Amino acid sequence: MSKKVCFMLVHPDYTLDGLRSCLGLAVENMYSYAVVMNQTLAPLDDYNKENIDWIRDMEGEVYSTVPANCENEGLEPITLEELGQKLRDMDVIVPYGMMP
Amino acid sequence: MAKSLGIFVTSAKNMKHIMGVTKAAKAKGCKVKIFFTWQGTRLAKTAEFPELCKIADDVSICADSYKKCGFDAADIPQGLTDKEMATQAQHGGIIEDYDCYMTL
Amino acid sequence: MKILNVYRTAPTADVKKLVEIVSEGREASSFDLNVDAPDYDKLVDMVLAADKTICWW
Repeated sequence: MSKKVCFMLVHPDYTLDGLRSCLGLAVENMYSYAVVMNQTLAPLDDYNKENIDWIRDMEGEVYSTVPANCENEGLEPITLEELGQKLRDMDVIVPYGMMP
Repeated sequence: MAKSLGIFVTSAKNMKHIMGVTKAAKAKGCKVKIFFTWQGTRLAKTAEFPELCKIADDVSICADSYKKCGFDAADIPQGLTDKEMATQAQHGGIIEDYDCYMTL
Repeated sequence: MKILNVYRTAPTADVKKLVEIVSEGREASSFDLNVDAPDYDKLVDMVLAADKTICWW
């Protein structure tokens, strides 16, 4: 059965590469999710927008706890409480990189 | 039977922990695989890295990250071969094939 | 399910909240890596005994 993995991305210098890692597991046939937290993303370029599209195409999702990222970049809104509940359902949880 | 442990390294801050965990796990008979990505690939240039490659069963780094961190892909870190200049599939291998998982 | 929460730095309020939710109703333990000389032997024993390990930032 495909594993469920969630990347948590809190540091601006690590977020875009974290999305790439998230996509890397999606292409390995895992349910791969990412959550952008505690930061407002700079406008995404086409490469990173495509990465998010690919994650979604492979039944993953990219969420954000920050409303501006949902409004500006189309990320799926999630609250901290909802994220906690979602993490309970994950096989692997990846607090990616480091705190800013 | 001893379990296996996979470590996904995403930060350049944790070499002490990676060495400590790997040595302790090997002393217990565990199989250990480590994959370095993004800023974690900078650790491939530390003095401890060649020793880590000897202790652990399987060490690889994300070649794409290594290049993005400013290194020359042809400059293979001591302890690795060109086959271990790898992709995110190594992370998938850890999740699929190893009993225990850590992120450092 | 046995959950092990490993802290690489002091947990923020958000991390504490997530740990609380993820650990609710489960057997949870923790290990602090943010000390001068972590007991890696003990940490590995805890990782091997856990069903899931989360290494928070």
